[in-house]
Amino acid sequence: MDLTLIVVLVIALALFFDFTNGFHDTANAMATPIATGAMRPKIAVALAAALNLVGAFLSTEVAKTISGGLIKEGSGGVQITPTMILAGLIGAIIWNLVTWLFGLPSSSSHALFGGLIGAAIVGAGVSSVDYIVLLDKVILPALLSPVIAGLVAFCATRLAYAITRRYDNLPDGRAGFRYAQIFSSSLVALAHGTNDAQKTMGVITLVLISAGVLGPNANPPVLVITACALAIAIGTYTGGWRIIRTLGKGLTDVKPAQGFAAETATAATILASSHLGFALSTTQVASGSVIGSGLGRRGSSVRWGTAGRIGLGWLMTLPASAIVGAITAFIALLGTVGVVIDLIIAVGVIVAIFAISKHNNVDARNALEGVNEVAESGRVVKIRKVKPKNAKRRAA
Amino acid sequence: MIDWIAFVAVAVAALASACVVVSLYALGLRMLSTAGKAPHVTPAEFTDAITIVTPTEAAAEAKRIKKAAARSPLTPLQKRLALVVAYTCFVLCALVVLFGIYLIIPALHG
Repeated sequence: MDLTLIVVLVIALALFFDFTNGFHDTANAMATPIATGAMRPKIAVALAAALNLVGAFLSTEVAKTISGGLIKEGSGGVQITPTMILAGLIGAIIWNLVTWLFGLPSSSSHALFGGLIGAAIVGAGVSSVDYIVLLDKVILPALLSPVIAGLVAFCATRLAYAITRRYDNLPDGRAGFRYAQIFSSSLVALAHGTNDAQKTMGVITLVLISAGVLGPNANPPVLVITACALAIAIGTYTGGWRIIRTLGKGLTDVKPAQGFAAETATAATILASSHLGFALSTTQVASGSVIGSGLGRRGSSVRWGTAGRIGLGWLMTLPASAIVGAITAFIALLGTVGVVIDLIIAVGVIVAIFAISKHNNVDARNALEGVNEVAESGRVVKIRKVKPKNAKRRAA
Repeated sequence: MIDWIAFVAVAVAALASACVVVSLYALGLRMLSTAGKAPHVTPAEFTDAITIVTPTEAAAEAKRIKKAAARSPLTPLQKRLALVVAYTCFVLCALVVLFGIYLIIPALHG
């Protein structure tokens, strides 16, 4: 198969992955403000899309982590071919859509890394992956970031409640946190753009490097940045509607103060780590924050079963998409025929999944609920219903 | 090989910035309600998640805030002072956020 044709195919698939990423992740920023009534759902989703677009242009640190380092490319390292990246992307997209259909919580970023790693191992051997970079920049941030975000959200929630608590039975103005939520959730959407759109940029840059269009360790070109920004923004906007529907039952009992604290914690964690080039999962950070802020409220306890299910989903994503990526890479080793088979499988799976999801729209409500990991995280914390002396005041 | 210092830096930066932003905003709200101007924000949409507030309850709450403001023990000067502190907090909070955004955009500071 012609090298340039396959490069075009990889870019198209990468942009499609970016679209599914936006689709999956609208709720990370907008679940809590919609749940507390800080914003109308339609406005929230449009705002998230616009800010994702802006965020994608702001920083390219994460893209550099992916395009330069994770897989040893260029002279001295192993030659990574566009075919392998294609196989990895197909693995990531298939895993992403399958989990979405079955309502398993999953991280788009881990699906991407898993797919690429699986394909690289099959295509170029176990030694082609830089495991130290993998551990340092992907796995450890993945394990630590939800914990850090949870801790930050816990502290922030405690502070927010402590500072606004009034013992004199006068209004505490906590409803005012709704205004703040508009800004904090915007910041999360912006952070999502700076982190998640970068991942696709990194992949496209990687394929351009491997095709010899760009030199090794090059920065992503402007055209690539623009295309990725648009893909994620469109994905965010279109994906929103399903998530809004899910959120009808979504997050249980989130108060504006909590929502504000959780969103600020999410934004701070993602922005701080984007700045240092850690590619972490926005979904996991947002989930960690929601759990942390729930625990920061009085009379809360953890539903360990739900927490465990989310944790299992996190652990599974990377190896599972690596296996899918490895299988597609294995087929691609057959040469042109293999690539064509891969593409047919990918398109078939994508079309089938969208058809099934349309078909099940109403019946599969329960299955779809799990898709929204942030909403799921809200259920991890059980808030004991304390009957306050001044019941009306708790209304905000 | 693993850069633990960078991890600690991320954790500390996130914790500090989030706590500063939330504290400033919360303090602003506290001062607003001290000044007798507790904000009353009706939810934009009454989702299932908001279990307590209905439009009727929201209206009752607004009335209660007005009443509470009327019998505040503070002098007008004290109220005005609280209001100034409140707005200062909000402005500081916005500045902290803007500074954070400035920090993460490499194009702005080379």
